[in-house]
Amino acid sequence: MRLDRLFTLAFFLGPALLIVITFFFLPLLLTVYTSFTNMRNWNVDAYLFDIVGLYNYKVLIHFAKYDPMFRNALITTVVFVAVTLVVNVLGGLTLAILTFFLEERISIHYRLLWLLPRMTPVAVYSLLWYYFFHSDAIGTLNRILLLAGVIEKPINWGSYMLPLGTWSILIFVNGLVGVSFGMIVFYSAIRSIPWEYFAAARVDGASNLTIVRRIIVPMIRWHLLFVTVWQMLSLLTTYTHIFLLYEWGVVDRTWGQTWSLLVFNLAFLPVGELRQGLAAAAATVLVVIGAILGLITLRILGFQRMITKPRGDI
Amino acid sequence: MGFQTNRTTIYIAAAIVLIVIIAAAVYIATRQAPETVETETGTAAETTPATKTEAEAVELKPLTGNVREDIVNIARFLSANGVTEAKYRVHGSGDPNSIMRVYGIVEAAARLNKILEDEGVNFKIVIEDIKFSANADEPAKVFQQSFPLKQEADIIAVSYRWISTFAKEGYLLDITDYANAYMGTELEDYYDSLWSSVTYKGRIYALPQDTEARPLYILKPVMECLGYDAWDIAKKIDSGEYTWKDVMRIAKEAVDNGCSEWGVIHRKGSAHPDLVQFYYAFGGEFTGSNPDKLYLNLEALYKWLAVEYALARNGLTPENMLEWDWAKQIHPTIVSAKTAFDIGGTWYWTEWQTKKYYTDPQTGEQRGLTPEEVKERFAYSLFPAGEPGKKPVTLSQPFVWMISANAGKLNPKYDDLKEAYHRIAFLLILKANDPDLVAIHSIVSAHIPIREKAAQLMDDQQFVNKLAQGNLDMFISDEARQAFVDIAKKTAHPINIEFLKSVTYMLEYTHIPPLHPSYQPLAEFFKDAVDFVLKGQMTPEEATNYVVQKIQADPELAETIEIVGSIPTGWEISP
Amino acid sequence: MGENPLEEVVGGSISRRLKIVIALALLLAGSPIILTYGLLILSSFSTNMVTDPLLTDFQPTLDNWIMFLRGQITYATGGLERNVIEMTLVTLTVAVGVALTATLVSLLAAYSISRMEFRGRGVFTAGLIMLHAFPGVALIIGVYMIFRIIGDILGVLGEEFYAIAYIILARAALEVPMAIWLFKGFFDKIPWELEWSALVDGASRVRVWWSILVPLVKPGIAAVLIFTFLAGWEEFIYFYVFLKPFGIDSLPTFIEEIVAAAENYQLTIIAAAGTFYLLPTIVFFILTQKLLLEAYSGGLKG
Repeated sequence: MRLDRLFTLAFFLGPALLIVITFFFLPLLLTVYTSFTNMRNWNVDAYLFDIVGLYNYKVLIHFAKYDPMFRNALITTVVFVAVTLVVNVLGGLTLAILTFFLEERISIHYRLLWLLPRMTPVAVYSLLWYYFFHSDAIGTLNRILLLAGVIEKPINWGSYMLPLGTWSILIFVNGLVGVSFGMIVFYSAIRSIPWEYFAAARVDGASNLTIVRRIIVPMIRWHLLFVTVWQMLSLLTTYTHIFLLYEWGVVDRTWGQTWSLLVFNLAFLPVGELRQGLAAAAATVLVVIGAILGLITLRILGFQRMITKPRGDI
Repeated sequence: MGFQTNRTTIYIAAAIVLIVIIAAAVYIATRQAPETVETETGTAAETTPATKTEAEAVELKPLTGNVREDIVNIARFLSANGVTEAKYRVHGSGDPNSIMRVYGIVEAAARLNKILEDEGVNFKIVIEDIKFSANADEPAKVFQQSFPLKQEADIIAVSYRWISTFAKEGYLLDITDYANAYMGTELEDYYDSLWSSVTYKGRIYALPQDTEARPLYILKPVMECLGYDAWDIAKKIDSGEYTWKDVMRIAKEAVDNGCSEWGVIHRKGSAHPDLVQFYYAFGGEFTGSNPDKLYLNLEALYKWLAVEYALARNGLTPENMLEWDWAKQIHPTIVSAKTAFDIGGTWYWTEWQTKKYYTDPQTGEQRGLTPEEVKERFAYSLFPAGEPGKKPVTLSQPFVWMISANAGKLNPKYDDLKEAYHRIAFLLILKANDPDLVAIHSIVSAHIPIREKAAQLMDDQQFVNKLAQGNLDMFISDEARQAFVDIAKKTAHPINIEFLKSVTYMLEYTHIPPLHPSYQPLAEFFKDAVDFVLKGQMTPEEATNYVVQKIQADPELAETIEIVGSIPTGWEISP
Repeated sequence: MGENPLEEVVGGSISRRLKIVIALALLLAGSPIILTYGLLILSSFSTNMVTDPLLTDFQPTLDNWIMFLRGQITYATGGLERNVIEMTLVTLTVAVGVALTATLVSLLAAYSISRMEFRGRGVFTAGLIMLHAFPGVALIIGVYMIFRIIGDILGVLGEEFYAIAYIILARAALEVPMAIWLFKGFFDKIPWELEWSALVDGASRVRVWWSILVPLVKPGIAAVLIFTFLAGWEEFIYFYVFLKPFGIDSLPTFIEEIVAAAENYQLTIIAAAGTFYLLPTIVFFILTQKLLLEAYSGGLKG
């Protein structure tokens, strides 16, 4: 009986464990290990055992102390992650609920529309917003406002009311990608709520708002928790969507960097010397911060209540 | 069971993972040793006694400096060892007309094979898997990450500035000895200034492939509007009589009189390499007494930033210059004469012809300029001296042929015959620089030739006419010839060739940024600083200090970059 | 699917006016997307990037598409041709591979987390999401080493097939934690009574999972398939690190290459490439629209 159970468990859990450990967990540990070596230029043979102790971490600390951009990057990161997270989760929820109330045949087009940013290769996506927010009259936004007579000459959005202009661009561009994630997850979750619940509520004369508050939100708690934590961790570590905007000067150079962009700029993007050991150290620090924030969020949002003993275990 | 579960489970899991990591590490560490043992026994078994005696009969002689002799010797040696074919992979990059950076090797192989055929040697060089990337840094980046995976190309054509990092890691073949054998023959007429671009710590790691200059373009229509002679201004800049102060003055006159919208336009995105010319023009150098260090002259840096600051404050250069769009703003502004000056590169000359930057005022159609129109529109000079007493400059960053330290690794018995395979790779890049190939590359891509014999060919009217007609019978390889027919017809125009010849003298004034791993990060800081002063977010002094701070924030840079000089007091520049 | 009780209950009780208001509000909120993507598509048919909503900078041409489909990346005369069909197929193979692997593997795992008790279940679940705190781009250092270790052990280092298989599995692994979490949420909502009777009747867990539970989480499967497919489709760094050295392009690496060389190349060709890149996914959505509708409206019915 016991062995039988083990086999069943292995059948269900085995593949996931194997793939996650091999391609996710082990690389992760190897990366942490790398942060203690002098690894650079992908030269595994030369540097795998060139252990330098805490050197890379010391470099990071030194960098945090003396880099003139560091403080700004830190503030930008906090604002960026917090605001974008709210936009992503609330925006996703709003979109999911609104499209839920529409007929499926119509709402699927909206969902497709909002998925476009997510389907777009990062380079093309950045290009779109580069032209949209461009600081001259060739910028689409400037052009619209000029035509509408709202402004008289083009506004440099990246430098506008520093750092607000730059932050708004960052949040807008990333929010647009993130919103679709919550939208699809929440929408699927709402669709799988047994319809009888809604029918019963209607019979009781519940308003739309009551349905949202009393049925939808409580029923998709697990998904809300998941999307919040997931997106928060994503935002802490993404830099790809920001990179070209920064590189091409759409956002301000002092306020347009998040911390992850700053460190990856240092360790990954330069032409010539690539310092993987340093990048790994930076990543490890990020992961520790991310994990702590994630655990706190899980606790606040009541992870333990939701992971209660499965009823059906025999 | 909550999620702060059972400690033992975690401990066991952690222990397992640790064991796996250690096992993996030990595996990687010990992997090298058994592998070599294996190949030794393997080759011993493979080599039959018969071929062994032959191999002894034909030995690999030292390189003589004569291509024919050397390739025949290497081929005889390899074929005596039972190898009749050697394969190589090549990866080049750059602007679309620069495909000589791959086809040069294809043609070189054909030429070497022809020699072998004539001499009756049963041996063939095969170039397989040629790749050409749009992004100039890509072959190098891919090489860097695929070398440890043993998937790298054997020969790459990239900017010289990767040599320092690659040589340091042992990724490149040291070709000093091979090159020395040819210094008196094939390599004799290479321009001397270029050797520094391929030499790292006294050893040669590459051969130059092409080079370029970065002229200051002077818009003739704007100068006419002001009543000046553009070529006269160019001459005065070249002689050092006019410095940046004068250029700014003329630019301001042009803008004030409505002759042009802007005074000086330059590149976006990066300060490297065009804008770094300012640093050299103000007497800055990156090298000094200690060859391991990079030197940063604060005075030159400050003066450079002060010029940019003054340009933007006087409305001569847009504050958001580094954000401008290449195709919608920068080039259209230049070709439609909306600026008095442009800091550009020699390749702009043909780019303005092949790309549709110009809006025809009559038809409203977007089109490229004709060679005649380009000639009518632009005069050009060296990059002006920073201030009286300094010299005008230009800057080159040669493209080079690099050979992987494992070149030829795809071929049989590699470990035993390495030396022969390496020599073939060297002969390939040597032949790819045959004078006619260099001349063709220079003409079609508007780069400057790296050797005198190629420059002479560009003077040869017959040669040029043949190109312009698409008659490329100098190519032995059909593949290579086909690739060039259209390009040659469209670009081998007398006006363009005349232009190239007329800027070759600039190489005498050229500076080549140093081969140093810390140079690239420094160039990035320069870009930030230029952006800050253009936008007025920082004064030149603050921006100079910003660069210093950035250097000091990174211990590795702080250690390798030596800061010299100081911000001058009371120095000002204005139109 | 015919009648759909959920649609009737929810949709039927909302006034037409409110629906129109919602639809308009959604349209307004989505207008920047419509505008920018519209301009992108127009740019692909123009000699220069179109950024003006009045289209004053629109100069019609088909060159971009002809160039792109022929694999030429420039108006200028030279350059080597690229195989667009090959790079599309490579990207598609990886995207589909990632979607199928990740969905199947997590559909299995989520069941055991939702329905079975075992040691470390809580830690495993929380740990899964924490893995995501690790930035993918830094993870690549470890993934790179594992690639070499496995390649050495199997003796397949340098084989294209290995690189593609590795990318699929490694990329799928990144999506598994998310998918497990999502599926757990869906499984948890299914009343236990449904499988209880089957289990009591002697059906195996595997059978119950496949024939009773999987059909009930169709909306979840649809959502996960969408996300994992998109993740594979827009993957960049793994393609770049493991396939570039073979000279194998994928759409994302190809596009990135030209954007990075914007100084020398024509961005309108990127507009064509970007539009082309979006096409398969849009077609995929339209083709599977019925399937998705069905999945979504399947809901929970006994």
